[in-house]
Parts: sequence; structure tokens; C-alpha cells
Amino acid sequence: MNFIEYVIVNKEQILSLTLEHIKLTIIAVGFAILLGVPLGILISYVKQLNKPILGVANIIQAIPSMALLGFAIPFLGIGTLPAIVMVILYSLLPIIKNTFTGIQNINAQTIEAAKGIGLTKFQILFRVQIPLALPVIMAGVRISSVTAVGLMTMAAFIGAGGLGFLVFSGIRTVNNLQILAGAIPACLLALFVDFIVGIVEKLVTPISLQKINGSKSKRIQIRKIEKVILSFTALVVAIIFGFSAILNGTTDQKVIRIASKDFTEQHILAHMFSDLIEDRTDILVDRKINLGGTQVCFSALKSDDIDMYIDYSGTAYGDTLNYPPISDMEKVYDTVKSDFKEQFNIEVLKQIGFNNTYVLAVNKDTAKKYQLETISDLAKVGTKLRAGTTLEFLNREDGIPGLIKHYNFNFKDTTGLDGSPRYIALNNNETDVVDAFSTDGLLKKFDLVTLKDDKNFFPPYYAIPLVRGEVIELYPEIVPIIEELGSILNDEIMIELNYKVDELQMEPDVVAKEFLTENGLLEE
Amino acid sequence: MIKFENITKKFKDKKVLKDISFEINKGHLVAFIGASGCGKTTTLKMINRLIKPSSGKIFINGEDIEKKDVIALRRNMGYVIQQTGLFPHMTIKENIEIIPKVEKKNKDEITKRTMELMEMVGLNAKEFLNRYPTELSGGQQQRVGVARAFATDPEIILMDEPFSALDPITRVGLQEELIDLQSHLKKTIVFVTHDMDEAIKIADMICIMKDGEILQYDTPENILKNPVNEFVSEFVGKNRIWTSPEFIKAEDIMLDSPVSCLSNLTLNRCLEKMRSNKVDSLMVVESKTKKLLGIINAKKIQETLDRSKEVNEVMETNLISVEPNDSIIDILQLVEDNNVSTVPVLDKNKRLLGLITKSSLVTTLSQQFIDTEEGMLS
Repeated sequence: MNFIEYVIVNKEQILSLTLEHIKLTIIAVGFAILLGVPLGILISYVKQLNKPILGVANIIQAIPSMALLGFAIPFLGIGTLPAIVMVILYSLLPIIKNTFTGIQNINAQTIEAAKGIGLTKFQILFRVQIPLALPVIMAGVRISSVTAVGLMTMAAFIGAGGLGFLVFSGIRTVNNLQILAGAIPACLLALFVDFIVGIVEKLVTPISLQKINGSKSKRIQIRKIEKVILSFTALVVAIIFGFSAILNGTTDQKVIRIASKDFTEQHILAHMFSDLIEDRTDILVDRKINLGGTQVCFSALKSDDIDMYIDYSGTAYGDTLNYPPISDMEKVYDTVKSDFKEQFNIEVLKQIGFNNTYVLAVNKDTAKKYQLETISDLAKVGTKLRAGTTLEFLNREDGIPGLIKHYNFNFKDTTGLDGSPRYIALNNNETDVVDAFSTDGLLKKFDLVTLKDDKNFFPPYYAIPLVRGEVIELYPEIVPIIEELGSILNDEIMIELNYKVDELQMEPDVVAKEFLTENGLLEE
Repeated sequence: MIKFENITKKFKDKKVLKDISFEINKGHLVAFIGASGCGKTTTLKMINRLIKPSSGKIFINGEDIEKKDVIALRRNMGYVIQQTGLFPHMTIKENIEIIPKVEKKNKDEITKRTMELMEMVGLNAKEFLNRYPTELSGGQQQRVGVARAFATDPEIILMDEPFSALDPITRVGLQEELIDLQSHLKKTIVFVTHDMDEAIKIADMICIMKDGEILQYDTPENILKNPVNEFVSEFVGKNRIWTSPEFIKAEDIMLDSPVSCLSNLTLNRCLEKMRSNKVDSLMVVESKTKKLLGIINAKKIQETLDRSKEVNEVMETNLISVEPNDSIIDILQLVEDNNVSTVPVLDKNKRLLGLITKSSLVTTLSQQFIDTEEGMLS
């Protein structure tokens, strides 16, 4: 499949994500203008505020966007709100600064003349200063708008949607076409925004102040055309907003929000449970696929931004609750169930029948070279090998730190690599050992050798559905449905399903539906 | 009409205006002139309250301007500045109409007024109204500035070096148009300039300032002829008056004590008198009234054989004379037209006040170019 084919096949998804992206960007930039321009005017009048406000805007600009996003989640939750807030914050600096500069740079004599002939402060602001500063302000808006389009791809990181979804998804599944399907429209969108805002910039520059290119009548003609283009674009945008407003009309519809973490298995699971619930009840599921890592999902569950996701017992036990890892499956489950209920009012439903434990994997050559079959074998030659693992694994007690203590060895060095890039690094011999999930489809895809945990370090990671207590009370009908599906799944099934997505490049939601259909689980 | 009472202005620690007081009469064009930093622009800007005095009061028509609404005050004054201060993003029409529009005047009235104003400043309305300031020349822009200032038909117009940025030809043209305008409209105009020629040309009164103080506040003529101190005379320049020769009057350049004689003096005696006084003519006057009866010159005596005659028999009685207030231009014209070499200066009653001769004229005229110790005009 080449890129064009991919786009054609997925055109609805790409289009809807693009529209979503446009919406988010316009809202963010719109608010940035509403905030930034008055602030810019304010600091040009009140000199003392100049340094503090510009200082704050500068600092915000300097904070890495990912950090700002992560920081915003506990306060703003997940989804569109933090994404929009983040983009607003990043768009502020150019707009404030340019408004300030635009007003400052107006000839002082002109302002004095305005005062002298008897215009009030407001009249001077609106009739003289703003019109004269407008070209510079628009230049700032233009910069902000274009940057905002790019930044908004981050929104997908916290489940807000937009074209970033394709980019992140493609990275995760090593699907370059998908990455491009997200990146290229985003790029084109940015160029288009630049073009449109450029027209606005030209239109707000008083004719008299523009560089004279050709006769006056020609300029007036070009201006007419520009106005037409602009009106048309505005109309299209209005339609987009109008449409989505209608579609999101309030109903009495029952909705629950099911999220997934940022890897393939999670996506398939989320879709399966969502499909089943929608099929068997009148509840609609708002799917927040690829929400983020454990931290993000758990926070979201705690703060009532999502209602359910599938976690793993060992993760909940060791990572979330911070207990030192043990291998007693039942103890782990029981502890998690009672702790989560007690501390967070989160219900842990019946354990699902597969254990997606951590494994260490090396490629075939490395295994051969050092005769590696178990982790103990690895420990012997550890100092010669480099580990490239997910950031989570690098930091969890049931990850590298605990592992090297348990097996008493050290790696030559360790690097944090999220998602599928670590497999690629392994393939390119830039790293030697990676962490993987035992049901990972990519293991099969890259033909890797997994090392046996002979000293039983890794705790059990049985998949467990986590649901907010209130939701159970509201919709108790979902519990038997979830547990029914849970009892059917096992290791082999999961490996197979994962492989379909990771190697055969099928879409997770398709794989999920197929499975349910083939197993006669869907009633409709 | 405008009265400054003990106005002082301090900027930080520097006194820019030091306790100045003066009054401007209605219908006068008063020019404020001085070196940079003397306080003239500051003074002007206090009238429309762009600058606040540190102490003292300013009255317009008896009202303290601090008590008036500042916006109303400014809208009732015209304000024209150097480099025009036209709004570059507005058309000429919009520039002129901005205050009336803001005051929500009737649209038709506004348009009518605009056309009047364009005519007043000599700009073709059709051609210029929809253009932008950047499309106009400096002189044209300045005319628009003046039009805008007159838009609300104010009584007082403030002008801050309005013509300084223009080329000399345009400047002169605009000065003359201002004089013409002023002669019809008789507004009260406060005009700041650093060009002495300009001030002399257009002003009814000139106020010379230095370091925040008023040195002399007087008519142009008085400033030219009677500078109050050395600085003023230096500032004005010894030969300034020559650019406005209309101010040089007969009484300024005449010989005050011409040699005279009574009408019954014999020609011989006359000749003697001429010799001893080293003159070649005598004024014949009536003894009591000093009325001029005639002039006798040496040539005429020499032509006469009988030197025992009395002078009244021979003297020239058909006389060309001038009054003390006649300007040097008139005198020169007179001399040229009538080919006379002596012109007596007489008052209304024909009394002899002084004498102007061709040689005294030459001496006077050469003062412009040669440094004489004692000039006629000192």
C-alpha cells in the first residue's frame, strides 16, 4: 500500500480528525487573541506591568509543551480542555508582544496630534492606535496560528483528538504511512492557515501603508479578491462549527467513557469491551483510545475524566500502589482490589484470563552470541550489553531497578525509549536488550528471543478491568458483560490479536469487532 | 483673550518656564520665538493642556482652563503641528472630518464644511479628498493640517512650527496664505517658530523667549528697532530689518538737525553758512513755527549774480517732502521718480523735522554691507 492508497482507504478518519484539529486550533487561537490583544494594550499603557507580564509569557514559552500538558492534567483533566489551554498559553507571547510593539512603534507625534485635537483616550485607542498597530498585531497572530496548528498535534497525547492521533498511533505501531497521514495534513493545514491569516494581515493594513506594487486600482482589485477568499473561508469554518454543534446536541443518552493505554493490546481490549457494551445495552461508549501511559489513565480515572480502563494487576500493585513486587497472583489481586476500593472507590472486576507480563527480549544474534536463554544468563554478561527500555520500565520497581537488584547485575548502560522505536533500535543494533510484554505482537514481528524469568522476579500481570465505583452504581448492567468477555480471553488469543495489528497492519477496532463476531458474542 | 499668570514649569529639577506672564489679544497672531529649549513649545502646549504648569494659571476669556473639560477645550481649538500629525491610515476627508464626526454632527453639514475648508486652504476637493496623506506633498499635507484645525471653526488656533519642515518656496507661499486668511477671519493664533523672518512677516506681536523667560513681547517693528537687550538684538540680527524694509521709516534715517536759515538771509550769508557747515543746501524755515518755506542749494546761488538778494526770492518752493512715517521704500521711489537729491521730512503742519539726502540714503543703505561705527539705524 502506498501513501495515496492509505489516504483513500482512511479518508473519513483523516477528514474527521482534520476537522477536529481545525476546531481545536481555532478555539485556542481565538481565545489567545481575546486574551493577548487586550493584555498587549494594557502593558503599553501601564508601563509597570510590562516586565511582569512579558516575563510570565516568556517563561510559559520556555516550558516544554509536553511538560506543560502533563502538568495540566491533574488540574484540568484530560481531553480538549488542557490541550486548548496549553495552545492558548503558547500562543500568548507572540500576540502580546506584537500588540505591545505595534502600539509602541506608532509615531509619538501622531498620538500627540490626536490628543491635541481633542480625541479622548478611548477614541485614540480605537481610531488611531489599534488601526495603526493592526498590521504588527496580525503578524503576531499569524505566527501564533501557524505554531498552534503544529502544537495541537500534542493534543492527541492527552486524548483530545486531532491529527496528532494518527501521528502517535503510527509511531506506536511502526506504521509510517499512518504517521504521514497525520503529519502531512497537519503540515498542509499550517500552510493554509498561514496563507489565510496572511490575507487578513494584508487586509487590515491600511492601503496607504502597504508597499505599493502596481497601480492603486490594481491594489483595490486584489483586495476585493482577498476579501472574497476570506469570506468563503469564514463561511466554511462556520459550517464546520455549526455541524459539530448539532452533532453534539445534548440528549439523555447514557454514556460511559472507556480509555486505553498507549499500546496495541490496550486498544484492542478497549474496542472489544466498548463494542460489547454498546451491543448489549443502550449505553453509548465514548472511546478514549491511546490516552497515555499508566499514570495518565489512572489519574484520569481518579479524577472522573474516564470511567473505565484495563490495567494489569502487577502494575497496579507495584507501580500505582508502590508495593515491592511479589509473585503471588492471588495476593496481588486481592490487595489491589481492596486498596483501590478503599482509597479511590475504584472497582476492580474479575481478573481477565491472560497474563501479560514483562519479558526481556534480545534479537536472535545476541541470543546466539552469548548463549542467552534465561535472565540469569543475561546477568552474567550484563555489563557488555545496552538496555533500551520504555521510560516506565526504567523507573518502576518492577522494572530495571528491581530487576538488577534481584539478579544482581548491571547493564553497560540504559536508555529510555518509548513504544516501537525501541524495537527499531534493537533491529539496528543500537541497543541490545528491550523490555516487552509477553503478548506483544511485535515480538513475533521482529522475530525476537524472550528470556525466561528463572528467578521469578516479575510479578503477575493479569489484566484487570478498573471501573469507577459510581459508574457501577449507575450502570450495574455492564459488570456481567465485562466479566463474560474477560473469561474468554487468554494469552494465545491476545498474542494472535496483537499480531494482527502489529504485523498484519489491521486496525485495532476492526480486529476487535472481528473477534467478537467470530465468537458469536454480538447479538445485533 | 488668552492670559498667562505666573506660569512656571519644572521638568524633573529643571525650570523650563520661569514665572512668565503675558496676555494675547483677540484677533492677534502672536509669534513665539527663541532658540531650542527656550520654552516656546512648552508654552504653546499649555494652552491646550497637553502640558500642565507646575504653578500659575492660564485664562481664556477670563475662565481658568484647568476648570474646563479638557476634551471640550481642545476641540474648540485648532492644533497644527510640524510634520502635520495627519493620521496616515485615514483619507484626507476622514482626517479633516474626524472631530466633527466624533461629535456626531449632521452628515450633510460636515460634508459642506469640508468642501468649504478645502477651498479655504486652496486644495481641489475632488482630487484630494479620497487620497491618503502619504500621497500628498509636504505643502499639501500642511494645508490639510490647517483645514483640519479650522474644522470646528475655533476661535483659537495653535500652530507649532507648522512650516518648518517645508522647502522655502512652499513655506513662503503658505505664510502669505496664512496672512491672507488671517486678514479675513481674524482668529487668535499662537504661532511657534524659530524663524525670525517668518515671525516678522506674519505676526502682530512677537514674544522672544530665552531659557524659560520672556525677553521682549512687542510689535515686530519695535523689536527690530528697539531691541530690549544685547541678546535680543543679536538674536534679531542687525540687518534683519532689511528683509522688512517697510519698517524703516523716514524718521529713522533722517538727519535730525538739518542746517536751516531764515527767509530773510542774503544769498552771500547763505553761502557762508553752507561753507562753514559743509553742506550744499539750506532749509529755509519760518522762525517761530519752524515751518519749511523752501530750499536753497549752492548751485542755485552760484547761478545768481546778485548775491545780496534775500533767499526767499530765489529759493525753491515747489518741494517734494515726506512724512516721518513714510518708509524707505517710498522715499527711494520718490527720489527715483523725481530726481531730487534732498527730501525734507515734514510733519502734518509742514514743520521741518529732518532731512534725507542722497548721500545720507547711501550711508543708510550701505549699513547692510559695511560695518559702520555709528549707523543711522542704531
